[in-house]
Amino acid sequence: MEIKQTALAGTLESSDIQIMLSKGTDGITIDLESDVEKQFGDQIRKVITDTLAEFNIDNVKVKAVDKGALDCVIKARTIAVAQRALQTQDQPAWEAF
Amino acid sequence: MNNEIVDLHLNDPQVRKTWEDFLTSLGITDFQSQETAAIDFTLGIYEGDKLVATGSAAGNVLKYIGVCNKGVDQGSRFNTIVSALISRLFQQQVFHLFVFTKLKYSESFQHVGFHELAHSDVAALLETGDSSIDDYLDAIPRVADQTNKRVAGIVMNANPFTRGHRFLVEQAASENDVVYVFVVNTDASLFTTAERFELVKQGTADLKNVIVVNGSDYMVSYATFPAYFLPTPDQQVDYQTTLDARIFRDRIAPALNIKTRYLGTEPLSRTTGIYNQVLQRELPPQVAVKIVDRKTTTDGTIVTATAVRKAIADDQLDSLAVLLPPSTINFINQHLESLQFRIKKGMNINGN
Repeated sequence: MEIKQTALAGTLESSDIQIMLSKGTDGITIDLESDVEKQFGDQIRKVITDTLAEFNIDNVKVKAVDKGALDCVIKARTIAVAQRALQTQDQPAWEAF
Repeated sequence: MNNEIVDLHLNDPQVRKTWEDFLTSLGITDFQSQETAAIDFTLGIYEGDKLVATGSAAGNVLKYIGVCNKGVDQGSRFNTIVSALISRLFQQQVFHLFVFTKLKYSESFQHVGFHELAHSDVAALLETGDSSIDDYLDAIPRVADQTNKRVAGIVMNANPFTRGHRFLVEQAASENDVVYVFVVNTDASLFTTAERFELVKQGTADLKNVIVVNGSDYMVSYATFPAYFLPTPDQQVDYQTTLDARIFRDRIAPALNIKTRYLGTEPLSRTTGIYNQVLQRELPPQVAVKIVDRKTTTDGTIVTATAVRKAIADDQLDSLAVLLPPSTINFINQHLESLQFRIKKGMNINGN
């Protein structure tokens, strides 16, 4: 599935992650900026990719700026941004939590 | 309201003074009205009644970002203010942002997801958001086997497209296999971006090896080169044009295999004159600069778009035939009223 609009969730505050989704044509591509990219980059990408998969999003550009977010935060921000991008935020996807 | 983000209303003289004093203490001192008038909104963070961070946005460009780190983690307020600016712009459907900053702050912006487009010894230009210069370059049409072709580039505002522009394009087209004509995207001229683009297309339609492309935010735009649109001291024009030239040299030219950039000589505009000097300093050896003398009419007058705009304002359309190709004349005849109306409403016709 493709997204309907560009969307943003999260902030650049410490322990948060800011995630932006925009239309893509080349599967899921992730541009990640993180101070702990070396240690946790793969894990962060995995959480984002897995969460997007739960929304059946398979064609999207992801831009993520991580400020040391825990997995649960990354997941929550990804859910929020996915729902905004799909314009379904008025029907929370409870099963995704 | 400790550490909350608030809107700063700069037309309140007291707020304005606090804001200027704070930025001055951080070394930002340029509060010329043409710079500050472009600001759409300004955010701030107070600690008690002391301003400790601020940032503004003008269109899709972040400006006047200043942060005091006393007593807090390095960078935390910077992240907060940039984060708030980005969220606010996204709410306004602005998804592609730029920042023009001192070189020493480039890294701070890269830590919050910006990518550097170019830097000089003093300044850097960065972008972030849902599209990037790579997306822009990918979308530009190419010809077969372009890497082995002679390719040239021209950047023009063409406000409007004259016989002078045409002469420059013809010259380049006769000496190269492919010529890219980049039309300035910023909509701050008498002729709108769509009109200028269309007139360049029509005026070069018979030249088969010319490709007309929108210059987007990367060539002489309000982001890369605000001085083109605003009266600005020479030194600053030099800073801005250096970045503009380096983006062309390091990003655009290599992607399209552009080996030569063509310029028209510029006897009449000071800003464009400086720009041309900077291009000659920055582009070679990667990109050769070829300067083509201004086209003159048979009686020796220089063909300029400025003269054309003046003729429109003065209703002296007879003089246009020698200056303009038929396509542009047709357009002006059809839209004369609307063009004159724009001038009456205050559109500056003496700039670029």
